[in-house]
Amino acid sequence: MSAKAAITINLPREDVERRWTSSAPQIDGDVTFKDAPGDRGTEIHVALDSGGGPIDKLKGTVPLATAKDQLRRFKQQVETGEIPRSEGAPEGESVGRKFKQRPAQPLEEAGAR
Amino acid sequence: MPFPPRPVDTTLHGVVDYTAGATLLSVFPKLAGVEGTRSARQIRAAGAIHAGYSALTDYPLGVVKAIPYKAHLALDALGAVALAATPFVTGQFRKGRRHWVPHVALALFEFSSLAITDPTGYGDYHGDVDAVRRANAEDPHRKIYNGTPAVRPAAAAT
Amino acid sequence: MRANVWSGRNTVQVENVPDPKILNDRDAIVRITSTAICGSDLHLYDGYIPTMKKGDILGHEFMGEVVETGRGVENLQVGDRVVVPFPIACGNCWACKHELYSVCENSNPNWGLAEKAFGHGTAGIFGYSHLTGGYAGGQAEYARVPFADVGPIKIEDDLPDEQVLFLSDIFPTGYMGAEMCDIKGGDVIAVFGAGPVGQFAIASAVMLGAEQVIAIDQYDYRLQMAVNKAGATATINFGEDADIVEQLKLLTGGRGPDAVIDAVGMEAWHGHGAIAAVDRVKQAARIESDRGLALRDAILACRPGGIVSVIGVYGGLMDKFPTGAFMNKALTMRTGQCHVQKYLRPLYEHVKNGDIDPSFVITHRLPLGEAPNGYETFKHKQDECVKVVLKP
Repeated sequence: MSAKAAITINLPREDVERRWTSSAPQIDGDVTFKDAPGDRGTEIHVALDSGGGPIDKLKGTVPLATAKDQLRRFKQQVETGEIPRSEGAPEGESVGRKFKQRPAQPLEEAGAR
Repeated sequence: MPFPPRPVDTTLHGVVDYTAGATLLSVFPKLAGVEGTRSARQIRAAGAIHAGYSALTDYPLGVVKAIPYKAHLALDALGAVALAATPFVTGQFRKGRRHWVPHVALALFEFSSLAITDPTGYGDYHGDVDAVRRANAEDPHRKIYNGTPAVRPAAAAT
Repeated sequence: MRANVWSGRNTVQVENVPDPKILNDRDAIVRITSTAICGSDLHLYDGYIPTMKKGDILGHEFMGEVVETGRGVENLQVGDRVVVPFPIACGNCWACKHELYSVCENSNPNWGLAEKAFGHGTAGIFGYSHLTGGYAGGQAEYARVPFADVGPIKIEDDLPDEQVLFLSDIFPTGYMGAEMCDIKGGDVIAVFGAGPVGQFAIASAVMLGAEQVIAIDQYDYRLQMAVNKAGATATINFGEDADIVEQLKLLTGGRGPDAVIDAVGMEAWHGHGAIAAVDRVKQAARIESDRGLALRDAILACRPGGIVSVIGVYGGLMDKFPTGAFMNKALTMRTGQCHVQKYLRPLYEHVKNGDIDPSFVITHRLPLGEAPNGYETFKHKQDECVKVVLKP
């Protein structure tokens, strides 16, 4: 049983496909691109090879959740030019961070974790 | 948290009043094992009176808002004392523990509920109003804005 | 720098924390000159919003002077005076391009967390729990503003801080609430809640040409402010008579108001009746997260075919939503966190023209160090408090 995810990027399909090949996010699975209806841009559909085992569920790194993170990070990078970082989640969207947030205060050093 | 903490406000106190009154009237004597005795009648009367004056109290769950809230709390305390004293005054305490323990237990419950009830109706305000008033010495209304409507009607209408 | 941080339920403290730094190219750092306490901050203070962490800096209504910009920010210079909108919006996604800034698809680095609660993530917000991204807030001396090329508006006049600060949140929120009512000449609008947002909803309804605006609250001093300053034409004090629906019908010749604005949200305090008590107990026991008393009354009171405009903040689930009334009376419900960026420029024009003076809601101006007392006073409505402005 394969897990699936989808996301829509607000850019034309050629741009999205080109950016995808050049930045190559780590996703183990089939990736397809479709035009989204109207002015919405391009849909990216991902069908993962595996749903992850019980160890992944314990570690919190289930492939589907990680794939969704990667898709969102790709969308943020491509649409806005950067990955939004907050004081609570300084690396941006990441599965490992979801339940281990920093307090929402500025970091000591600009590159600190 | 201020000490002692008083989280029970007027509405919650009202909920407890009516629940306790109803329980005392209905099932409490049976649960306490005194059904059919004088104790049962005393407890039922206490429940009825409690629910009765609660309905006449000036607080959110009161029906006719006649009795001030602080007076209600005083009545609660008096009623608890009266209920606890009843078995000793009538002499029935000699008949066994069952004939005075429920009364005293109910009185203790009432006192502990009063101890965590906030009598002022301010909730658990633990700020310092005087410090705030001192810090707010400049009145922004007088300085920036003066009475009368701050809005021009239909200024944004299309 | 000093900042007001969340330290548990009913506790905020002013502490020393590191100064913010530029993390991304589109960031800017603002030195804050004025900030305010919002009614929605009270939901955080009371502990009803999950994912708060001790040490989170609160505050999402702030303004000040730009002191540093990232390489990607071209429209702002160091020294510019800006008001910062509370939703963080990227400006590039489909939502932002359609002016739905408060549901920006990119600005929340905890999108996955919010998705679990709401089905989708929404925009990041300053100082409003980790569900909205875990951004440090503005009740501090400095703040980092992401996507500074999209959000902040430059203030080029001498208008005092107090007159433009509320462009960051409550004035546009009240205005969007009134705008969602589609006000036409002759309309009667009812506003539930006469707190700061309610006051601006009333003022906006007056500005948009409503014939009558009815303010509903339980505190006389707030109702007086609504009439004397915000332009309300009638008031209902539900502390005296709890049947709001009936009183609204009497004020409108039996018809009901044409549109109703809910500026109350999840901590509705109707104070009377069994449902209110049950709601309070359930919320205290965390069985039900939202007390929907105002929303229920709003739906029952609105005239059939009318509009219910919800700008009060809700977080989770409420019990006993009147679906029958809602559906059979052909009501429309329009809601949302305010898309502040859309309204900043038009409302700034109104302030410049003198059509409205937003400083009328301020009752307390305190130094940042008094923030804990300010929160308590605002929460318990002591000293006739309506709005607290903090000066770092």
